[in-house]
Amino acid sequence: MILDFENVSKSYGSVRALDGISFAVDRGEIVAVLGPNGAGKTTALEIATGLRRADAGTARLFGGSPRDVAMRLRLGVTPQESGFPDNLRVDEIVAFAGAHYPHAIETGDLLEDFGLTALRHRRTATLSGGQSRRLAVALAFAGDPELAVLDEPTTGLDVESRRRLWDAVRSAAQRRSVLFTTHYLEEAEANASRIVVIDRGRKLFDGDARRMRTRFGMRRLSYVGEPLASAADDAGVTVARANGRTVVASSDTDAYVRALVNGGTPFTDLEIAPASLEEAFLSLTEVSK
Amino acid sequence: MSPIRLAFIHARIALLDLLRSPSYVVPTVVFPAMFFVLFDVPFARSHAGVANFATLAFIAWAIVGVAVYQFGVGIAQERGRPWERYQRTLPVSTGVRFAARILCAMAFGLLAATCVALVARALTPIDLSGVQWLQVLAYAIAAGVPFVLFGITIGYWFPARASVPVATAFNLLLAYAGGLWMPPSDLPAIVARISPFLPTRQFGEVLWSVTGNAVPAGAIVGLVLYALGFAALASIGYRRDEQTRYA
Repeated sequence: MILDFENVSKSYGSVRALDGISFAVDRGEIVAVLGPNGAGKTTALEIATGLRRADAGTARLFGGSPRDVAMRLRLGVTPQESGFPDNLRVDEIVAFAGAHYPHAIETGDLLEDFGLTALRHRRTATLSGGQSRRLAVALAFAGDPELAVLDEPTTGLDVESRRRLWDAVRSAAQRRSVLFTTHYLEEAEANASRIVVIDRGRKLFDGDARRMRTRFGMRRLSYVGEPLASAADDAGVTVARANGRTVVASSDTDAYVRALVNGGTPFTDLEIAPASLEEAFLSLTEVSK
Repeated sequence: MSPIRLAFIHARIALLDLLRSPSYVVPTVVFPAMFFVLFDVPFARSHAGVANFATLAFIAWAIVGVAVYQFGVGIAQERGRPWERYQRTLPVSTGVRFAARILCAMAFGLLAATCVALVARALTPIDLSGVQWLQVLAYAIAAGVPFVLFGITIGYWFPARASVPVATAFNLLLAYAGGLWMPPSDLPAIVARISPFLPTRQFGEVLWSVTGNAVPAGAIVGLVLYALGFAALASIGYRRDEQTRYA
C-alpha cells in the first residue's frame, strides 16, 4: 500500500478537522480528494506528507510514518501556494528539490516535461501565476517519487493553463501514484481513477466517477416553468434556475415529474438526463448536512 | 543522500538567495565596513593600537549583524511561508536544515568580517599577526553563539513584519552602547555604566584580548549567561511555533 489512512482524526482546539477518516492510495492510482472549503482536505494532506500528526488513528506512508525522512524519499509534494524564494532561478529550484532524492529526474528533462525550458533562467518572482503553478507541480515529480501529492494544483488557472498542466501531470504520473485535491469536479472526473469525497472531516464517498453518479442515481431534470415549492426541502434534491428554466438534480426525478403533473403546475420542454458530477457532488454534501 | 552534502546544498541555495538580495547584503556586509571607514578610520589612521582595537570592534559588530539578521529576520520571515512548509515535506531532517543555516551564517559572517579587515589593512596601520587572526576567527565563532541564539529568539518571538525593525534597533543600539563604534571610555557616563553588562561589549572584550589584554573572565561569564538565557527563550519560541503549525 502506498498511502493508508485508518480512522484518522485531527482537531484544532474545539474544531474537528478530520473525524475518523479512512482511505487508501494503491500503486498506480490517481486519487482525487474532493470537498468544500473547510472539509478537511488540507489537513488530510498535511498528515499524509508529515507536516502534521494525527490525534487518533494511523496514517501510513509506504507502511511507515510520514514523519520519517526515509519514507519521504519516495514522496513528492507540491508547494501549497507559489511562494518560492524570490531571487532563485527556476532551474536552481528544480535542481534543489531533486538533490534530496537518490533517483532524481534530470533537471532539463523535468523542465521540458512541464513546459518550463524557456523559463529556466528566470527568477521565480517574475513568473506568472500559471508558470509558477507549473513549477510547483513539477517539483512534486523532481525526485521520481512513487507518490506525488498535489494540493489544489490548478487553483486560479484559466482553462487552457489547466489543460496544459494536466497533460504534463498525466504523462509524469505514469507508473506512479498521485493524490490531489481540487475544487474543479470535471478535473477529478477527467483525471482521477478514484474519487474520495469528504465533508466536515468525514468520508462521504470513495469510488470512481461513474460509480459516484450511479450509486447516487443522480439525474438532471429541466423544464420551462416554476419550481415546485415542496421539492426544495427534500433531502438530496437541488433546485436551481438557469436561463428561464428550472433545473432539478435528484436521485428520483420520476417522483418530481409525478408531483409536477399531479399538482397541475404548468410546464413545457421537459428534459431528463444523467447528472453531471458536480450535481452529484452537491447533493452528496447536501445530504450530509 | 549524505546529511553533510545535503546541509551544503541547503546552505548554498540560501546563500544564493541572500547574496542576490540587496536588502540583506547592505546591512550585513556593507554597513560594518562602511561605518568603520566613516567613524573610526579617521582616528585609527595613525596609531596601530587604535587600529587594532577599532577593527576588532567592527568585526564583532559584523558578526552580531549577521546573527540577528540571518537568524532573527530570516526565521521570522520564513517560518510562515509555503516554501518553508514545502521544505518540511522533503526528505531532510530539521537538524540538517539548521546546520545549513549555521553554515550560511558563518559564510556571511566571514564575508562581512573580511570586508572590515581588508578595509583596515588598506587604510590603517593595523598589525595583527597570522596567529592573532586565527585567534580572532576562533573567538568570534565561540562568542557569536549567544548572538545566534538571540537571533533565533527574535525569529520565533516576533512576526515577520516586526522582525526587521526589532533586529535593526537591537543591532544598532547594542553596537553603540557596547562600545563597538567608539571606545567605551568615550561613551556618555550613563551608557558607560551599563555597557559592561551588554553582550556586544563582552564580545568586544573577548576579541580585544587577542591584542594582549587580559582574558576577560567577566565577559566570558556574561556571554555564557546570555547564551543560556536566549537558548531558553529560543526553544520556548521554537516549540510554540511547532505546536501551532506542525503538531
